[in-house]
Amino acid sequence: MPILLLEGILLMAMIAIAISIIVGRKLLSATIIYCAFSLAAMILYTIAGAADVAFTEAIIGTISTVYFIIAIKSIRKSSLKSDGENNISDDISEREEDGK
Amino acid sequence: MENKKVMKKKTIGLILVIIIVAIGALRVGKELPTIGDLNTPANTNISRYYISNAENDTHAQNIVTAVLADYRGFDTLFETCVLFLSGIAAMVILSDKKKIPEKSREELLAYHKDSNFGSKLMDGAFRIVVPIILIYAVYVLFHGEVSLGGGFQAGALIACAYLLNRIIPNFENAFRKVKVEISLIAAGIGAFFFVLTGFIPMLYGGRFMEFDHLPFHADTLSDLHADGILMVEIGVTVCVAGVIITILEVVLERTDFDD
Amino acid sequence: MTEILKSVEYFLADRGIYMLTLVLLAIGIYGMIACSNYMKKLMCMNIMQVSIIFFFLTFGQKEGATIPVLLNDFLSADAYINPVPHALMLTAIVVSLGITGVGLALLMRIKDIYGTIEESEITGKGGNGK
Repeated sequence: MPILLLEGILLMAMIAIAISIIVGRKLLSATIIYCAFSLAAMILYTIAGAADVAFTEAIIGTISTVYFIIAIKSIRKSSLKSDGENNISDDISEREEDGK
Repeated sequence: MENKKVMKKKTIGLILVIIIVAIGALRVGKELPTIGDLNTPANTNISRYYISNAENDTHAQNIVTAVLADYRGFDTLFETCVLFLSGIAAMVILSDKKKIPEKSREELLAYHKDSNFGSKLMDGAFRIVVPIILIYAVYVLFHGEVSLGGGFQAGALIACAYLLNRIIPNFENAFRKVKVEISLIAAGIGAFFFVLTGFIPMLYGGRFMEFDHLPFHADTLSDLHADGILMVEIGVTVCVAGVIITILEVVLERTDFDD
Repeated sequence: MTEILKSVEYFLADRGIYMLTLVLLAIGIYGMIACSNYMKKLMCMNIMQVSIIFFFLTFGQKEGATIPVLLNDFLSADAYINPVPHALMLTAIVVSLGITGVGLALLMRIKDIYGTIEESEITGKGGNGK
């Protein structure tokens, strides 16, 4: 298959992934979809002929996803601690997961 | 509910934006050059000189490394400084006193004694995988001139190995962590080494970052350029690894993986 | 069938790929404005950056050329991809990682002071609500 056709199909898939990050409800699922977006970007760079850039994007994409996951964990923990009661915590963590 | 209203407004806005930008980009796209053409201005001016003379000027077969560290080394110098600055900023912002207090060693041992969430399996896998990653990082650094690789990839790989160490909950290695001050000092030393590589030719009768006047013993001029590229890559590796470890430690100090 | 493929490929080379890249950029900008959770704003910033880097890399493609690592015998200057955009984009990717780190540090401080990371609640609550 010609290269430009593959690039076009992959770009359309990336647009679909980006739309699903914005419209999604929960924050944790948006982080995992962001990891998939990074993988698709790496494949796109490889097809376009930039091998060094793809190598760098693969490593930096996983490190960035881990930063996001650690930050989500820290934010949720601090909300639980600041309230101090167990029956309000479900409400608050669910409200935070509804990232709009 | 008001959540549904907000989401409907957002979806309608998204569709409108996509349609307008698609139509506009179809009109504008004619002005930009055709992809894959051989006579565009980007492909004919100076990149021909770089491709034809990269092997003769420096001993590098990877043209991207030669362009990054030798022909356009000034760019890389300021990028390293910006990265170091972002490490300092992240440490200063989160330097208030609100950290999770550290547990003592007895508490940690008693906590992890009866947790059987695959701790032995992850411990074994960790001991096999981490040395392979570190050796691969050193290989990528030293072969950056011959095949794919370079300084940035090697630094990120070293930080990846450290990340693996910090995330897996193994209670025997629970206290092998790097302090934030030490990793930031290491990043600074890396950036300083890079600037030193640019400064040394000035003492021997050249300009800033002119690798022809390095005081090493070499046969031809291209050998001196290869030495200069290696020193630049080592500086970049240490700086990148230090900054990534610093940001990781600063963010991890405020969380505790209690569950 | 090959005619349809050829015409589609010609369309893509002329303006199709630029259109898709600009649509991705517009989605990223719209996401930064319309999402009210600060984490999603950071993720949309990274989406924007991927599209811009790919836009730069399309300027280096040549027909029938290979990756910019020299082979054993040097054919001609037209047989290798333009290496200048690759070098510039390598630094851009690593700098964006630093920016994400600083953004996350700021986000944690906002959570400490205001107690929430939704923008619609912060501007209505205390700070400078209109």
